[in-house]
Amino acid sequence: MSTMTEFHWTLEVLQNLDVGLVVLDRDYQIQVWNGFMENHSGLSASEVRGHDLFALFPEIPEEWLKHKAQTVFLLNNRAFTIWEQQPHVFPFRNYRPITGTAEFMYQNITIIPLTSMSGEVSHICLIVYDVTDIAVSKQALTSANQQLERLSRTDRLTELNNRGYWEECVVREFRRQQRSGQKSTLVMFDIDHFKQVNDRYGHPAGDAVIRAVSQVLRRNLRDSDIAGRYGGEEFGVVLINTDAPSALYFAERLRKTVQALTVTHDDQAIQFTISLGLAELAAEVEDHKEWIARADKALYQAKEGGRNRSCVFGE
Amino acid sequence: MPTRLVICDDSGMARKQIARALPPQWDLHVEFAADGREALELVRAGRVDVLLLDLTMPVMDGYETLQAFKAEGLAPKVIVVSGDVQPNARKRVLELGALDFLKKPLDPAQLEQALTRLGVNAAPVPEVRRDLALQVDFRDCYREVANVAMGQAADLLARLLDVFVILPVPNVNMLEAGELQMALKSTEDYDTISAVCQGYIGSGIAGEALLIFNDASFKDIARLMNFHGKLDATAELELLMDTANILIGACLKGIADQLDIRFSQGHPTVLGRHCKVSDLLAANAGRWRETLAIEINYRIEDYNINCDLLLLFTADSIQTFNGKIAHLLDAA
Repeated sequence: MSTMTEFHWTLEVLQNLDVGLVVLDRDYQIQVWNGFMENHSGLSASEVRGHDLFALFPEIPEEWLKHKAQTVFLLNNRAFTIWEQQPHVFPFRNYRPITGTAEFMYQNITIIPLTSMSGEVSHICLIVYDVTDIAVSKQALTSANQQLERLSRTDRLTELNNRGYWEECVVREFRRQQRSGQKSTLVMFDIDHFKQVNDRYGHPAGDAVIRAVSQVLRRNLRDSDIAGRYGGEEFGVVLINTDAPSALYFAERLRKTVQALTVTHDDQAIQFTISLGLAELAAEVEDHKEWIARADKALYQAKEGGRNRSCVFGE
Repeated sequence: MPTRLVICDDSGMARKQIARALPPQWDLHVEFAADGREALELVRAGRVDVLLLDLTMPVMDGYETLQAFKAEGLAPKVIVVSGDVQPNARKRVLELGALDFLKKPLDPAQLEQALTRLGVNAAPVPEVRRDLALQVDFRDCYREVANVAMGQAADLLARLLDVFVILPVPNVNMLEAGELQMALKSTEDYDTISAVCQGYIGSGIAGEALLIFNDASFKDIARLMNFHGKLDATAELELLMDTANILIGACLKGIADQLDIRFSQGHPTVLGRHCKVSDLLAANAGRWRETLAIEINYRIEDYNINCDLLLLFTADSIQTFNGKIAHLLDAA
């Protein structure tokens, strides 16, 4: 086979490759533009040759691409960009009406240096890969995983954190406390005589009551506070950077709001109260379980003391 | 009277290569030292006319050795032979009293010119092979190949950013699967993205580079890269990719050039973005075996930037790699 034939074949292959090839000189003027680029841009090689890339495609982030290209020129080193950085460097539209998955083509780009006879980098070649399908499925997977993660830690009825995830948060906060030494207070509370609500109005009414309490709770929380449904009618809240007196203020406001609340279910007006136990994290508390146990003990005290009240551990 | 010449380098392979690069018909008496401390002893004993000195060495590095000569009023003729080819490395050693600076891999013609400039006696004697007695193990060879490659990467970074990169002695190890897991897991604990992976393959040698930023201080990286915009997740990704392109690309090129091969590089993957480390661990944990790893810790002077570059080679590559290295050692 002659060298001429081989050369001709190579050109033919490059022209038909389903990957974009663009050669630029130091002034970013287009020197080579293969079939892939022609077909996706609608501009033929003869139309673009010798033209400034950024003048032809004002959509290309000029400063960004030049910065990458400069290091290739300067260091004679390859550079890679991925779609997570710039999804669509060349503004190519999706061309498949049926199996296309995005409006624009996602691209990964490799920039390689091309050296002249003297060994200097005189040109660069951009190799443009269509990674639309990969990008779209990765994004879909990521969002599905996020949704799964959210579902796996949410309580269905109240849309608060479920017990498992809430306890993880308590552990994390406990550890953070040990490092930072800031004050946080744990509040455990439950609905007084909840069994009677269930017996008298039925379980659906009981659920409505639990949902109503959750709503009141959520409205009273700050962004940093962590609330969860601990058990049937029992709830837990970690108040971050809050000492016991401030937490008591929060608890009392919550208690009074619930006391004033009427839940209507099947035309029946239901009124109820809650009891709350508070425990500020103290140095001698050994682990998160003891912290929860202290708040539980204060809650028990509130029950013993006649319900519809807040008690602080150790007071 | 032959010229008494000492080759000081921690790498057996480098000592062998330098010895081989000496003009074969010159009247030289050659001794070897494995670190600066040994070279200093020989100089103190008055046994050295010319010292060929490496920079990156354990115990006492090249800079410390030059400082010790100065402090003790010793004045052997020193030519630094180093893989650390940053402009600043050259400047610093010349200021410390070295008379010349040659880069690795050493070019015999340049060495001969440098020796001539120092006025070394070139009286012809029968040709000798000076490297025959030296035994070298493979780990040492890998370390030296990595040493030269990382020096080239550091040089690019130094010239691009006008900084000085502090280079350690590279680590060459068989890495246990568990150690790789630990390294990956450590990247998961950061809030910010801090690791980039990139596969490479060529001439029967393949593997993956893993660049891990320790306590990624993007503020410092941004300062370094002259980035003035808002430092959000997008900007951090850009900075990470720019640094990875240089460090991984240049280091691989440095290795490939020495072995006389070329690597193709795949597209980089940023860990923690659309590729979760925990998923990688779950999917691959059973597949990982003990693997050859070259580990290089880069630090940048005056900046809080510290990153580990791990080059992990596939088990299939090791035989080919050894063959290439053996070839390097035997090349006349």
